[in-house]
Amino acid sequence: MNLGYLVRRLLQVVPAVGAIVVVTFLVVHAAPGDPVAAIAGESGNDAYYSFIREKFGLDQPLWRQFVTYTGNVLTGDLGNSFVQGRPVSQIILERVPATMLLMVTALVISTGFGIVLGAVAARRPFGMVDLTVATTSLVGYAVPVFWLAQLAVLTLAYRWGWFPIQGMTDARASYTGWAAFFDVAHHLVLPALVLAAGELALTARVTRAGLLEELGKPYVQSARAKGLRPARVLRSHALPNALLPVVTIVGTRIWLFFTGAVLTETVFAWPGLGRLLLNAISSRDHPVLLGMVLVIAFAVVLVNLITDLVYAYLDPRIRYR
Amino acid sequence: MTRRSVAVLFVLGLVATACAGDDGGSGSATTAGPTTTSNQPVRGGTLVVAISADPGGLNPAITTSGATHTAAELMFNGLVSLDENLTPQPELAERWSVENGGATYRFTLRSGVTWHDGQPFTSADVKFTFEQMLLRFHGRASASIGSNISSIDTPDATTVIFRFKGPYAPLLQQLNVTEAPILPAHVYAGAADVRTHPANNAPVGTGPFKFVSYQQGTEIRVERNPNYFKPGLPYLDAVVQRVIADAAAISALERGEVDWIWNVPGPDLARLSSNSGFTVLETASNPGGANCIMTITFNLDRPIFADVRTRRAIFHGLNRQQFLDQILFGAGAVATSPISSGIPFAHSPVTLPAFDAAQANTLLDQAGWRRTGTATRVAQGVAGVADGTPLAFTFAHFPAFSSYGELVRQQLSQVGIEVTQRPLDPPAFSTTVFGQDDFDTGIISYCNATDPEIGVRRMYDSAQIGSAAFSNASHYRNAQVDTLFQQAATQVDPAARTNAYRQISQTVAQELPYIWVVETVGVRAHRANCSGFAPHTGLFAEAAFCRA
Repeated sequence: MNLGYLVRRLLQVVPAVGAIVVVTFLVVHAAPGDPVAAIAGESGNDAYYSFIREKFGLDQPLWRQFVTYTGNVLTGDLGNSFVQGRPVSQIILERVPATMLLMVTALVISTGFGIVLGAVAARRPFGMVDLTVATTSLVGYAVPVFWLAQLAVLTLAYRWGWFPIQGMTDARASYTGWAAFFDVAHHLVLPALVLAAGELALTARVTRAGLLEELGKPYVQSARAKGLRPARVLRSHALPNALLPVVTIVGTRIWLFFTGAVLTETVFAWPGLGRLLLNAISSRDHPVLLGMVLVIAFAVVLVNLITDLVYAYLDPRIRYR
Repeated sequence: MTRRSVAVLFVLGLVATACAGDDGGSGSATTAGPTTTSNQPVRGGTLVVAISADPGGLNPAITTSGATHTAAELMFNGLVSLDENLTPQPELAERWSVENGGATYRFTLRSGVTWHDGQPFTSADVKFTFEQMLLRFHGRASASIGSNISSIDTPDATTVIFRFKGPYAPLLQQLNVTEAPILPAHVYAGAADVRTHPANNAPVGTGPFKFVSYQQGTEIRVERNPNYFKPGLPYLDAVVQRVIADAAAISALERGEVDWIWNVPGPDLARLSSNSGFTVLETASNPGGANCIMTITFNLDRPIFADVRTRRAIFHGLNRQQFLDQILFGAGAVATSPISSGIPFAHSPVTLPAFDAAQANTLLDQAGWRRTGTATRVAQGVAGVADGTPLAFTFAHFPAFSSYGELVRQQLSQVGIEVTQRPLDPPAFSTTVFGQDDFDTGIISYCNATDPEIGVRRMYDSAQIGSAAFSNASHYRNAQVDTLFQQAATQVDPAARTNAYRQISQTVAQELPYIWVVETVGVRAHRANCSGFAPHTGLFAEAAFCRA
């Protein structure tokens, strides 16, 4: 790996994230709705609202607010929440574990099962298994995640009682150790499956298509001619090459897991960043909103870099300069 | 142990927990004490409550946010409490006297009350809370009490004296845990900014329950205060408030994951009411505001609404019973007066325009709005409106109130009025309607609160025309009404106040700056094995208990 390339890519993160923050700052402040009304609530008078406006620096010109905010960000200070009065960085960090747990689990499910299903489908193209996988994939990809979430709640949780309806833990019990682990796991199943459904479908289709292309190449024919079992040919020879586009797909679409998490967390009352983002928007909590955009932008840019690096690792023909 | 073994164990564990199921639908108990078939209170157990929004903070003295008050009021008290008839009852104050014609209120505080950290409650806490929190940051308190207070004196540890610039009638309605929760001075003393004090997320109060933990976005957990000043209370060991969206909350209640929900969606009301495993309660009081009326406001600065005949015709064109039936599923009542029936001393039924499309058409014709066939009416000789201008206007509303907009549009189209819905989320609505006066009509949930001085005056007083949310949106101006409100605020005699509010109701019912559509109620539900709730107050679970 060329270290210079890595450093250059890392440095590119700064202007990319900076541009996103600038645009978001302008859009947030251009949106209708006065944050003072959200902070102060109803029933105040003009004097009270003026007091709140001055207290939060909202009476300053926009350019001065931006300069102040940018200066603070460069020193690692994301400001304090208008609503909670606590540091934004602290608020975000509290929610990161729950969202990461949900997203990583969904990512593992969608990628792992997607590859397996794609491989199974590719073994017998246009057979019953392939058609079943294709149809299910199409449905999974087409159904909106919020609708799928509601359906899951109504059937698997409400009607049959197999899983909890809401939350990350059982409210009545204070589990510890392995009991706590399984409690969280039990609550995680439905939201993770719902979040994984769409990307699982896409991963299965991309894997299938990639495998079919690889299975038609001369090196595969050579492997078969040598007497290797079909399963080994598929697993050890064709699949690694077929995974290259899957890596690209997963890496460039990982932001979809976050948008899906926003909807999934709302339906399942999962206490993550998604719900924090919704609350910040509805309450015009600008510092939290900007802080979250900053974190998300940084994460997405970083993941794209990691995707490129993983791609180069998998394909020795690729060298970055 | 190999990785494969761990993975297998993980999957088996998931299957095991999935098959374990839960304790089922209706009738299952929280953890509770001895079984009893009578309605005698039972000690013990944990009440799980669904709240729809994360409060963001747990100090109810620095905000009027309904989410904060819902989550936090169980940990605090006011100087008084209000019973279901809004009659003040002793709480932190055991007795009081009104002096100087209502300009001075002297409270004797209850002795032996302690904060959750063991420190004694004194008059210094009351003074500190009002001066450093309520009058600075609590919107309703600062706008009403703050504008009239002269000083708060504490001659000794158990005496608090409120001195006003003149007679101030509504004070006793503004001292319960919702309007004036009392916080500890010794915790916040010396703080540079009470709004950012850590105690706002780990509160210390005098209430029946004390703080245990607050997981942001997830839950607030409180436990029984063993030193609560009301003997024998509370009965519950703990209350857990879970942040769950309304749609999921009803399912969680039915599956036994929660015991109490704050709002029953209309479509679920009939099903839940008919299920013996649940109890449904209606109350006009909510932690964020009491006695609310869904009110359509005219922008009286717009010429098309200048003629009272036009406003009266629009009133006649609306079938308000249909709003109650279709949107609220019968929960609530059609408004019979500008002041809510939940404030008995101030409520007096007046004659409001009944649903009558024929009368609406007649009045519109008289006002100069001509109609050809079923087309939209156009102006012909309407003062301040160019001939040919269609009788068409926008209707601003929160997204959650879109059903009201739909019904208004449908009903008024029958009398030749074209209405276009204009959904605006709450901050945008506040800025557009109150801040910029950039609207034609809109619908607002005006909460009258526990005294008209708190929640009604701001709708009609010409001095309340401004950018503050829920102020005088219609820009109604009537000097006589202004005078009557001032008289009512400064008359301690209940009969005199009642008379003033009756005159106000009659006057505005004639001039129609608003259309008072329906009085809304909060519809709560809980599992039938629980009892003792007081849904009209923030201390709703103070005397609650759950049987096995």
